Amino acid sequence: MARQHRRVGYGLPTLLAIALHLGILVVSVIRFPSAESEPPSQSIVQATLVSTETTTDQAQRATEPQASSQADETSEDEASREAEEAEAQRQREAEEQRQREAERQRQAEQERAEALEAAQAAAEEAERRAEEARAQAERREQQEAERQRQAEEEARRQREAEEQRRREEEAERQRQAEEEARRQREAEEQRRREEEAAQRAAEAARNSLDRAIAGEAEAAANAEQAQQAANGFINLVRQAVEQAWVIPPNVPDNANALVAIRLGPSGEVFSASIARSSGNSAFDRAAIQAVESAAPFSELRELPASVQRDYREFNLNFRPGDIR
Amino acid sequence: MNDAMSIPHLIMNASGVVQAVMLLLLIGSLLSWVVIFQRSFVMRRARKAHREFEDRFWSGVDLNELYRETPVEQETLGTEHIFRAGFREFNRLLPKTRSPQAILDGVQRSMRVAWSREEDRLNLHLVFLATVASSSPYIGLFGTVWGIMGSFQSLSMAQQATLTTVAPWIAEALIATAMGLFAAIPAVIFYNRLSAESSRLLGKYEDFAEEFHSILHRNLQGRGETTEG
Repeated sequence: MARQHRRVGYGLPTLLAIALHLGILVVSVIRFPSAESEPPSQSIVQATLVSTETTTDQAQRATEPQASSQADETSEDEASREAEEAEAQRQREAEEQRQREAERQRQAEQERAEALEAAQAAAEEAERRAEEARAQAERREQQEAERQRQAEEEARRQREAEEQRRREEEAERQRQAEEEARRQREAEEQRRREEEAAQRAAEAARNSLDRAIAGEAEAAANAEQAQQAANGFINLVRQAVEQAWVIPPNVPDNANALVAIRLGPSGEVFSASIARSSGNSAFDRAAIQAVESAAPFSELRELPASVQRDYREFNLNFRPGDIR
Repeated sequence: MNDAMSIPHLIMNASGVVQAVMLLLLIGSLLSWVVIFQRSFVMRRARKAHREFEDRFWSGVDLNELYRETPVEQETLGTEHIFRAGFREFNRLLPKTRSPQAILDGVQRSMRVAWSREEDRLNLHLVFLATVASSSPYIGLFGTVWGIMGSFQSLSMAQQATLTTVAPWIAEALIATAMGLFAAIPAVIFYNRLSAESSRLLGKYEDFAEEFHSILHRNLQGRGETTEG
């Protein structure tokens, strides 16, 4: 009944499954290297088999004559013995004869035995020689195989070394090429950077020059502007004074009066006095009146501050033709 | 070259994903073989137990004696389990009711429950086998596809595409498929074999339950007639 085996555990199945997998793994690992290492050895054996055949042939050829001579001897012996036996049968009544015969037979037998022995010895000798020859041939063949294998090994090693060298060379060349490319790239980069830097420097220099030029130009322009403004102010003052100037009658044409004018900060006239008289008091008075009536000169405030101070004091030259 | 192309070397040099796939497949194969061996033993024992119990049952032994042979608390398997469940129910119901139909119904019900338990027991883990059988080729294929993707990625980086640059990748990728098939083929074969065996055994159990039911029925009919008469 199913009473003694209640449950089937998992221990044994697990063990079996692991063993199965390990077996498959071992088979797959072991069989592969051996299967792959066999072909070269097979080829060596095949290569030497030809020479083995020839050496054994030679050995056979060497043993053949001896074997044939041995066969000759044995057949001769057999014939003589038969003849003797027939004779003995025929002369059985004569005891001595038979004894002699027997003796001779014995002798013959001995001879035959000796001959056989000799033949055997010869055969053995031949065999030994053949054996030796074969052994030698085998040794030679082994040596040959060994040499061949060594040669192959050497060739393989050389090939491998060559392969290795070539690969290394290739790697080296590639690396060099890469290095070269990298260097070129770097040089290019460097050059570009330098160029850029030079360009930037040149640009900066040009910029600074430009700036300097511009500054100078600006300064010049400022000065010019100031000059223009100052000129404009003088002109304005002159126009205003001319408009306000009433030239008295009976003034000689060469009358010339210089009026010194001092202005306040906002353009009002502090003082206007005759610096050099024209000799005609009416003319002098008329000049001072003209200045006073034209005041204030508020245009002074529109001048640049740097030149304001310079134009706070100036002289005006009055002549009947114009004012300078 | 011989060394580089050997299977262990290829497995060791495979990429991480392919190695993970191989490990997964190895575990699946191991577990499926554990299940195969375990279920085979279970099936063989169940078959043997069924044969022995049937021989004993039909040898003409008294059913009460047969029932009393094993202690009540001892767990029984297979046909014996069904027999004991039915007979216990029969013995319990017999003093309580006079209706043969009620008794037979109860017996049938308890035998059906026992049969269902037996089915559960026999088919345990067979689903795992089916899962391994159907999924491991796909897992192996995934490993192969991943490996070949890697080979093409390495090919795109190489200067010139030779067979030697692609061969190891593809070989190692194909190992994944080989392992998937290696796990799947035994699982398929043994799943079919074991499930057929299981359904055959369950059919036998069912036949036995019907026979036992008819015996009880006959018994009740006889008793009913004697009590009536």
